[in-house]
Amino acid sequence: MAEKASLVRFLPVPSPSEQTVWADVSSLLNAACEDLQEGELIHGENFSLFAAMSALEIMDPKMDSGMESCGYRSVEEAIENNAAPIPLNHDRTIDVQCVIDVMDHLLACEATWHTGHSLAQTVFSCIYLLRLERTSLHPLLHTFCRIIRATCNSVISVVSDARTHEEEDIFIMAHGLPLKGEGDEKCLSMLQAVEETISRQLRACKALSSNKKVLEDIEPLQTKFDLEEGYCKAVLCRLRFRKHFYHTLICMRKPQGKGFELAKKHIASCLSELAEMVNSSVFLSSNASGICQTDAEDCTTASGCQPIGFDASLNGRFSAPTPPRAIKIFGWKKAVKYFEKLLHDLAIICSFSLSPFFEDVLRFVGQFQKSKPDLVARAHLHILLVQDGKLYGRDYFYDIISRAISLPDVIKNQELHKSDFVVQLGQLVVNLLKVLCTNAAWQRRKLGKILQDWSVTSVQLELALKRELGELSKLSVDENICIKLSKLLLIWSEEQTFWIASRFLMMGFELELYSPCEYCMVYWYLYIIFVKLLEKTQMRLAASLDTSKKKGKKKKDHPKDTTIDATHFSPLVLLLRCYICLSEGLAMMLAALSNERMISQKPSIFNSEQERFIQHFDLLLKAHVPDHISYVLFKKSTVHTQLTSVMKYNYFGDVQRITKELRGSFAGDPERLAELRQIEQVAEHNRIALNVIHQAGARDQSLKLRKTSGRHCGQMNAGGAFGGNRGVGPVPPEKGIFPLDHLHECDLEKKEYMACLKSSNHLSEKCKHFSKKYLQCRMERNLMAKQDLSELGFREELDKEGSKERDNKIEK
Amino acid sequence: MNSEAAEEGTMITSTSASASESEKVDFSSSEIEYVSYGGEHHLPLIMRLVDEELSEPYSIFTYRYFVYLWPQLSFLAFHRGTCIGTVVCKMGEHRNTFRGYIAMLVVIKPYRGRGIATELVTRSIQVMMESGCQEVTLEAEVTNKGALALYGRLGFIRAKRLFRYYLNGVDAFRLKLLFPPLQNSFLLPMNKNDGHYHQDYLQQEGCSESHHG
Ligand SMILES: CC(C)(COP(=O)(O)OP(=O)(O)OC[C@H]1O[C@@H](n2cnc3c(N)ncnc32)[C@H](O)[C@@H]1OP(=O)(O)O)[C@@H](O)C(=O)NCCC(=O)NCCS
Repeated sequence: MAEKASLVRFLPVPSPSEQTVWADVSSLLNAACEDLQEGELIHGENFSLFAAMSALEIMDPKMDSGMESCGYRSVEEAIENNAAPIPLNHDRTIDVQCVIDVMDHLLACEATWHTGHSLAQTVFSCIYLLRLERTSLHPLLHTFCRIIRATCNSVISVVSDARTHEEEDIFIMAHGLPLKGEGDEKCLSMLQAVEETISRQLRACKALSSNKKVLEDIEPLQTKFDLEEGYCKAVLCRLRFRKHFYHTLICMRKPQGKGFELAKKHIASCLSELAEMVNSSVFLSSNASGICQTDAEDCTTASGCQPIGFDASLNGRFSAPTPPRAIKIFGWKKAVKYFEKLLHDLAIICSFSLSPFFEDVLRFVGQFQKSKPDLVARAHLHILLVQDGKLYGRDYFYDIISRAISLPDVIKNQELHKSDFVVQLGQLVVNLLKVLCTNAAWQRRKLGKILQDWSVTSVQLELALKRELGELSKLSVDENICIKLSKLLLIWSEEQTFWIASRFLMMGFELELYSPCEYCMVYWYLYIIFVKLLEKTQMRLAASLDTSKKKGKKKKDHPKDTTIDATHFSPLVLLLRCYICLSEGLAMMLAALSNERMISQKPSIFNSEQERFIQHFDLLLKAHVPDHISYVLFKKSTVHTQLTSVMKYNYFGDVQRITKELRGSFAGDPERLAELRQIEQVAEHNRIALNVIHQAGARDQSLKLRKTSGRHCGQMNAGGAFGGNRGVGPVPPEKGIFPLDHLHECDLEKKEYMACLKSSNHLSEKCKHFSKKYLQCRMERNLMAKQDLSELGFREELDKEGSKERDNKIEK
Repeated sequence: MNSEAAEEGTMITSTSASASESEKVDFSSSEIEYVSYGGEHHLPLIMRLVDEELSEPYSIFTYRYFVYLWPQLSFLAFHRGTCIGTVVCKMGEHRNTFRGYIAMLVVIKPYRGRGIATELVTRSIQVMMESGCQEVTLEAEVTNKGALALYGRLGFIRAKRLFRYYLNGVDAFRLKLLFPPLQNSFLLPMNKNDGHYHQDYLQQEGCSESHHG
């Protein structure tokens, strides 16, 4: 029956017009329904099976939002039934308690909204907000509701202006909600007045309790004298938090970051008021008189009481035409945490130097994203970076580009922005910055897509350059400058392309898109990308030195090898070299392990590694980033790799050597130093891992590690990635092949093993006792998946004391 | 609703496999009978299983859409007359590729871990491949370790992460399985020894190497 009824809803409804005649067709439909046999379906032009899927089955509680609310049918009905009384209670003490609960629950709702739920089901589940005019007789509640509404509007406008909401579509949906109201622009002065009153009440009560003369005659906030101070304070910090938060949002919207200094002050005030709110919770909960919420963690108010005046089901019909979303409002404590994080993220934005150098911008965005800021903070960053088509609303993007390629002044003064390519690249930069402000999942997909645009632009630049070079015969000075410009632009755009590609690949680790058995190909591809990136970076550095040298010709203070120095030993270049060694080392180590059958996986029945390769790198391959890469090439370069050669090339040792050199250059840059430390750790762990595995494998070639296949993948490579050259590296190198031993739990074992290796001239054979202890330590502490040591090449007999002789025999 | 979902025309989810591995049933694999969707009498069986095990709500129209249009892609597993597992799929043109889509896959708890789900999807995928699909896709919650492992072993990769894809706010992975271009070369070497498989394929690509011995 339910089925038939809901089918009716989907018959096409003509739009009403003058000529429309309405007729009752119930009897017709009933007759039709009678005719239907069980299981029969109605077919119609406008009613395919596909369309039917989006039908909501009426009367099914899983599908029909209407079924859920056993409550009121309208806001009016709720109000009539006293669901949102004003005052909230005739006892003035209880009234204040209830208002505070409403404030707290609204904070919880707001945080829930910010993190991905609809406004209708969160903040606007508040009946007082839905009929704000009713509250005008209750100044405290009224001003609070007004500032909440103004804040919501302001947050919605940032997010929709930044268009970051594309990734989180339900954020700005406010259809049917009374968001716009008269007089919200006055909310700050209203708030000021209420705040003033309550501070006077607080002063009065303090004076009374210390038996001082009361300066003015003022009615207290509520009736219980001993609670007056506590309630005044609890209300005040809540009001002040709202005030400073609203101010923060306003300041941050000022163009060109001009409000940032003031915003920082408001942020600091917000944080201290939040702390006050947390402090007040002891007082509030010990004097609570309402119905208690059960679970302390889920509790949406500081007092622990159920708030009055909320009903999420009232807005059911405003939510999108989907089944009802399960929604759980944040607990109050979690909401406070959310706001603390939001404020910290906003403070980071306000402290940014607004550097006009593109590299700095990218580094900043990367660093900012590392703390995984939520939508609202990211929207603010987005608004800052791209305003009126200019960086920070201040610098033209063609200036940014010319600075990035260290354009000689001769050209700079020419009309750079008239070059089509510069305009085109400027647009690409804008898009890139926007994409970098989105959430990780969305960002990676978009990076993959814009890669295509960058690569097309590079190809066009290259063609243009060839054309210009072809016309070289009629060379004039002007043309020469043109060629120079094209060359610089080409190098730079290729450099950016490879940088985007490296970020795209690395984000796959953060998003857990690679399974351990795919790490080898991912590291291999990363290695290729880093090599290309290094090549372009060096070309750019050389070109820019070239220009500056020409400029300073007469001074003769450029000895010949500065070029070499700068292009080979600049910190940026050396850092890239680390990444190259690391990715190559990891790729080769994994390849060797699989070639020597120490890890392997069951082939899947439907496809092979080749298809997985094609799918993972589909976007890179399509965009020719770089040219001529194929699975066959990957296989050719890895299929013969053996552990001994991986040992010989000593990739991880090289990394450690370079990082040592680099530390000096990065002194004073804590972010860079942290990045270096992480690189060092990954290198160190993998060097040890390699030693251990090499030893295990060398002793017993016939070792059947294959049997435990598949699993090995997961165990030996707990995931690994590392930061990018500009620090925009999406993933901190938390884990190498081994997860990092953050707590240094196995340091002793490791040191013993390393010492043994040293003293025995790196004959790892002699140290297996130590390496076994080290591995055991890691397993015991979950730093490595547990597995039988025999699978790693340690035999039972080796265990027993005094088995040394036998041991030696086995080895001979 | 999620635009990705709208594009596919459906959405899938699962309760994450927090399988309280309740009373296991003792049975031998040969007792499990696999049948292709055979008509309206199978529909309630499928609905009951999916409603119980998957978190996303589906209307009867969703089920009908799949089993009426692609009955050959839906399978049920029976043990002694009781339906204990099912798979529901579709296929069609999508941005110039012909692709299969796995909509729902369920095996009831007492029967898990015995390869029944693997057998069910393998049958569907086989039909998709024979029908000319170039690839197969599906979505799975990032927390559904069981399903992710199962599909990983069948050769699916995690192509994308979909932010808060499900109504319950959890992220999803879009999983993809690309078929090799030459189908016949893939049906043959299946029963060869582990590990030699890729090399055979490589040799076809003209990369000579002989390295196992
Ligand atoms: C996912 C599900 C269908 C698996 O059914 P199943 O019959 O147990 O699966 P199989 O026995 O065929 O498992 C095959 C492989 O998948 C992996 N796997 C399955 N369940 C697993 C689990 N809970 N944890 C880890 N791996 C698991 C294993 O690798 C297993 O192979 P192995 O046992 O040889 O190691 C079942 O758990 C289920 O119905 N879950 C709830 C619904 C659901 O999540 N559906 C998927 C929606 S996309």
